[in-house]
Amino acid sequence: MHNPEHSYKIIVMGGSAGSFSVVSGILSKLDPNFKIPIILSLHRLKHVRSGLSEGLSLNSKIKVVEPNDKEKIEPNRVYLAPSNYHMFIEIDGSIALSTEESHNHSRPSIDYTLMSAAYVYREKALGILLTGANKDGAKGLKSIADNRGYTIVQDPVTCDIDTMPKSALQLFCPDEILSPSEIVQFLNSLQP
Amino acid sequence: MQNSEGKMTYKEYLLVLKECSPYDFCEYSDNSIDRRIQKIMRDYHLTMDELIHKTRNDEAFVELVVEAITVNTTELFRDPPVWKFIRENVLPAFKNRPKINIWHAGCSTGQEVYSMMILLHEAGIFDKAEIYASDISKKALENAKKGAYKYSFNHNKYQENLNAAFADSVVPKITDFFEISKESDQLIIKPFLKTKTKFVRHDLVKQELPFYSKFDIIFCRNVLIYFNGGLQSRIVQCFHDNLFPGGVMVLGTHETLNGFFKTKFAKKGPVYSRTNTFHFKY
Repeated sequence: MHNPEHSYKIIVMGGSAGSFSVVSGILSKLDPNFKIPIILSLHRLKHVRSGLSEGLSLNSKIKVVEPNDKEKIEPNRVYLAPSNYHMFIEIDGSIALSTEESHNHSRPSIDYTLMSAAYVYREKALGILLTGANKDGAKGLKSIADNRGYTIVQDPVTCDIDTMPKSALQLFCPDEILSPSEIVQFLNSLQP
Repeated sequence: MQNSEGKMTYKEYLLVLKECSPYDFCEYSDNSIDRRIQKIMRDYHLTMDELIHKTRNDEAFVELVVEAITVNTTELFRDPPVWKFIRENVLPAFKNRPKINIWHAGCSTGQEVYSMMILLHEAGIFDKAEIYASDISKKALENAKKGAYKYSFNHNKYQENLNAAFADSVVPKITDFFEISKESDQLIIKPFLKTKTKFVRHDLVKQELPFYSKFDIIFCRNVLIYFNGGLQSRIVQCFHDNLFPGGVMVLGTHETLNGFFKTKFAKKGPVYSRTNTFHFKY
């Protein structure tokens, strides 16, 4: 279970269909001084390639950026995987991008981002999987759990489309199953 | 050459590859190379020992490894605003010049080579263009030469990209440049565009270039992201050396130059222009 003394170094959130409003809601209610960097790997609608970061920035209390390759991850910042790139976390705490083939028909692949976070941050990683219509992300979230990181799945009852959280729940038992408002509460409780 | 668990690491595998083939991936970034080698082992059901054995003894397999490591998927007019910028702000200057030399470094399966040729054609400067395209992967180059791409799923996206690249102008149709083959489910480049570009096999890690000419435009999109900082710098220096002053370098939309090169190139919109700054060697 969550140990309040346990400090997370990174938060990775993944989602697809319906996740824009959930993520936007979470970012609008976070403490503006929220320190832990948040990495977002969100599938985009095929024909809406751009505008996602602008959309999220509108209400976010924290700066949202689409990072460049090899950009250093800084506190108090949200990093959104750029359209049409996979996004990874490197061992030195920087972002790596790639245009290799799609994974689960997706680029960015949520699995890839989560797995790289699990590998680099181990028990210091917090993974959150939100609403979505694809099984991408389930394996990645499990890899966070396998590395003793903390895992949260959005409660399927509160999801627009519950394929993504349900795929994760079939694979393993996460630490928490929470509604979006409970996720916000949880995150804000991490602030010292 | 073994780690504490007695197993070879991916880095050590790259040394084996370097030793028994012409390929050197030692300066590729750890993250991408680890993942690619894991994928190869999964796809071919190999342990690390088996992978090493096959690499040492099977030349054809080495080529498959190279293809798997260097995969870089792209599309026609990927990132339309970049192409729009080139069309509006780079190409007009060449209307009154006798020649335009272009190099696509790491052209992969060639979609961007054809995207550029379409821009040149529409700008009326196609005939004075000299175009080279290079890649490390034999298979990718073969695909690039064929200029044949999957039709279903892609056709609409390609036309949309084209529309966006030619926004505020006369928009050509994909079918002006590609034949549609419903039987093979392919878009196939028309002959007048097919024979123009010289495709050459070339590994960017190796410094000597396969041509003498300098360039007005060098494309290298989403290739440097796979390299570590040192190799990136050497390659950008090579592009700098092989661009005419004022020549343009086009990188991927999320690739940037490190501090040292910021005086050697000026960022203009989404592209980099070689500056005329004088630099002492010592």
